[in-house]
Amino acid sequence: MAGHDIVISMLLAFGVGIELLCCLGLWAMRRTFDRLHYVGPAVVLGTPALVAAVVIEEGFSSAGAKAFTIAVILLLSGSVVTHATARAIHRASMRSGEDERTR
Amino acid sequence: MNVWLWAATVLLLGLLPCGILCLRAGLWDCLIAFELASLISVLVMLLLAAGLHRPELYDLALASALLSFPGTLIFIRFLEPDHGRA
Repeated sequence: MAGHDIVISMLLAFGVGIELLCCLGLWAMRRTFDRLHYVGPAVVLGTPALVAAVVIEEGFSSAGAKAFTIAVILLLSGSVVTHATARAIHRASMRSGEDERTR
Repeated sequence: MNVWLWAATVLLLGLLPCGILCLRAGLWDCLIAFELASLISVLVMLLLAAGLHRPELYDLALASALLSFPGTLIFIRFLEPDHGRA
């Protein structure tokens, strides 16, 4: 196995492991805000690792450029969506009079 | 099966906790599970494109990544409690 393949395998194992841990964390947590925290690492750590593996495999070809574009879109949109979700949950808590620390 | 297809198959298992949460949890928890599930589906398509050597699948992953962003924002907008008020 060449060094190229070892690096790709390590990146894939790291990325898939992070994504699975985030899914398990999402399932195991009981409060909504705790669950929301598990979306962050999936976007920020897992996605770049998997996309880096694809870019190493494909090189800077059309496929590599598309994979890089996907990473940029997911990284930019992930933070916006997480923030918007947290804001909407906060507003829902305020409106219903529920203590959001229990959410 | 190569390493890409193995990674895609293992990554698909991550959809199970998201699906269980969508079935059993409250509305906001479902939305969070949906966000993570849409991210995982994009990454699975990316890995499948690399594993199957099908460049057209990259376009599918790119379209899915582009469309999941406004889709989730629309969900959030419609789920907000004061939606429809001036």
